[in-house]
Amino acid sequence: MSMHSTAIPATAGSQIHFDKVKRKQRIKNFFKGMLFLLPSIVLFGVFLFYPLVRTIYLSFFLTDAAGNTTVFVNWENYVNLFSSPVFLQSIKSTFLFVLYTVPVTIIIALFLAVIANEKLRGIGLFRTLYSSTMGISVAAASVFWLYLFHPSIGLLNMLLEAAGIDGVGWLTDPAWALIAVSITTIWMNLGFTFLILLGGLQSIDSYLYESADIDGAGYFYKLRRITIPMLSPSLFFVITVTIINAFQTFGQIDILTQGGPVNATNLIVYSIYREAFVNYQFGSASAQAVLLFIIILIMTFLQFKIGERRVHYQ
Amino acid sequence: MKKIFPIIMLGILLFIAACGSDSSGESTDDAGAEGETEAAATETASGEESGDSNEKQVVTFWHSMGGAGQEALNAIVDSYNDSQEEVQVNAEYQGSYDEALTKFNSVAGTDSAPTIIQTFEIGTMSMINSGSIVPIQEFIDADGYDMSGLEENIINYYSLDGTFYSMPFNSSTPVMYYNKDAFEEAGLDPEAPPETFAEVEEASKAIVESNPDMQGFALQAYGWLYEQLLANQGALLLNNDNGRSDTPSEIGWSEEEGKSIFNWVENMVNDGTFANYGTNGDNMLAGFLAGDVSMFLQSSANSRDVIDNAPFEVGIAFLPHPEGKERAGVVIGGASLWMIDGKPEAETDAAWDFMKYLQTPEVQAEWHVGTGYFAINPDAYEEQVVIDAYEEMPQLQVTVDQLQATTSSYATQGALMDMIPEGRKIMETALESVYNGGDVDEAYNTAVEQFNHAIEQANAARGN
Repeated sequence: MSMHSTAIPATAGSQIHFDKVKRKQRIKNFFKGMLFLLPSIVLFGVFLFYPLVRTIYLSFFLTDAAGNTTVFVNWENYVNLFSSPVFLQSIKSTFLFVLYTVPVTIIIALFLAVIANEKLRGIGLFRTLYSSTMGISVAAASVFWLYLFHPSIGLLNMLLEAAGIDGVGWLTDPAWALIAVSITTIWMNLGFTFLILLGGLQSIDSYLYESADIDGAGYFYKLRRITIPMLSPSLFFVITVTIINAFQTFGQIDILTQGGPVNATNLIVYSIYREAFVNYQFGSASAQAVLLFIIILIMTFLQFKIGERRVHYQ
Repeated sequence: MKKIFPIIMLGILLFIAACGSDSSGESTDDAGAEGETEAAATETASGEESGDSNEKQVVTFWHSMGGAGQEALNAIVDSYNDSQEEVQVNAEYQGSYDEALTKFNSVAGTDSAPTIIQTFEIGTMSMINSGSIVPIQEFIDADGYDMSGLEENIINYYSLDGTFYSMPFNSSTPVMYYNKDAFEEAGLDPEAPPETFAEVEEASKAIVESNPDMQGFALQAYGWLYEQLLANQGALLLNNDNGRSDTPSEIGWSEEEGKSIFNWVENMVNDGTFANYGTNGDNMLAGFLAGDVSMFLQSSANSRDVIDNAPFEVGIAFLPHPEGKERAGVVIGGASLWMIDGKPEAETDAAWDFMKYLQTPEVQAEWHVGTGYFAINPDAYEEQVVIDAYEEMPQLQVTVDQLQATTSSYATQGALMDMIPEGRKIMETALESVYNGGDVDEAYNTAVEQFNHAIEQANAARGN
């Protein structure tokens, strides 16, 4: 009896002891893990999470020119945005811009990648040419296009006029400005997109094509059944990155149109910039930034939900 | 992948090299701000080295003068540094006025803040409100310096209740540039440029008739020009005497005054004599020089550039005004120099000495002739450099005449408020919509509504 009565507490005791060690171990592991994560937590915290929280905080205030908060206005900044025709126009322009640039960039880049993937003499030259826009800075490319688009002495209008067509006010006509900026952007993004897709094409195993050849498959059948599915991880990556880039376009707008004419190219990031650093309304600029964050979050989430199902990982 | 890698690297290398030369090519252009900042950074670096070795008092001077203005300014700063042993001024280009102000706001109160910053006239109110500046008046009083020698209209703009907050430096007003050769071809008198809105319309028609490849008139969609066209008819931009007697609560112009500009533009758009360059002043300038448009409005600060680069005879005329209105004159545009608070006394004293140097007739004469900005010190007009330049380019004198013909009133003293940059953008959008065939009433009413909203918002942000 006495043996029993002592034995039970002993097991209970060891159980408790075991739990304690386990918990201690877990805490130790947790701290060890944290230690490994510390550098990235600190970096993300300082450069990402703090600004994020600060932006959300600012979006509920009015500020002075130095960005100090002055008056708490609750949701007023957001309410004003949704009743402002300028902001609604800028949302519309942003979506139109994404629609103009993303599909065209990817289709052209894919086409170039497929033809540059052929094994021909001197193909290296073409691969270099096609990827060349990657090395050009946004500022340099925009200035270059600015002169092409010049209403009277620009090359594009001179060509049109030589062909007997009236010149177009590329950057001054609201109907054309967004298209002009899109053309510039497509041209600039082409190099990067081409390079990623070509890399994807090069890593497809040649035995797939060899067996298809033996089966007597045609060129387009191989393209549709082998190339595109095997390329889908690269395509998915390129689509995601291009969409995010399109939402965050700034440099070409600043140099080409400054958001004009009549706000036709006032894309959301440029609108945030103007609001914060020209008008010194940091509150309303922050509210726009928060909305942009939510839009990109939703877009990326949808892409992963819908798009990734079609991706074929080897 | 392995095979294409070296090729790609080679490609990237080539294009980085290509970009390098691109950005240096841009640096004369406003758009190439990046290239210019780099250039400015290297200049500063070398400037600081020489400053350290001599143990001079270093003064950091942030400015926003690109292109020809930057060259003229650097020449002045160099001559100041060579003229004495105690002070070394480092002039740093910080991008446009907007960009410089933004940078300043983020470093204000820290050691990275400059000693002097050049800020545009519409930033006057935000600078005073920022609390990070020392009013120049303190130095004027301590030093017994006499400001009354400066141009009267400039004193009017920059003194508030008799106090100078900043030191006027580069001042310009808008003028109308016109192509004398084209005027002659069209049978117009090149020595009698149009003075009123209707005369501009008539002249534009004559130009287009004689040369269908040339447009008559261009008005850059630029809020500053809109403000000037208002002031020229004696209209206020903001109520409460342009914000000079009290904080403004709404716009100061009447519907008739505000709309006259829109109607004028619409008439020319309908006549097919208007050249639309949108908001881009550089394109407009290039168009004028290429003979695509015969008249345009622009700051007198460009006059030297335009006269030097035009392959034809350039005329400069007063800003046009509507019929039935007296010409009231123009508002001083340009920028002034601000002394930053919280610097060691030796440094601010050195900066004050440099500011005084900039006011001297000799320096102002060089500056006026080199750029087309006014001499803020009228004694400069007596200098030989100026007399010689007028002999060669009598057009330069028109800009001075226009300023001196200005009648002093609240309208021509110019508006003071911190929301003016936003207001400018609103007017630019409205003008652009008329350029593209939009309805005048609709564009005008939307603009007024947004303008008033911006004023309200700015007042609310200060807790009023």
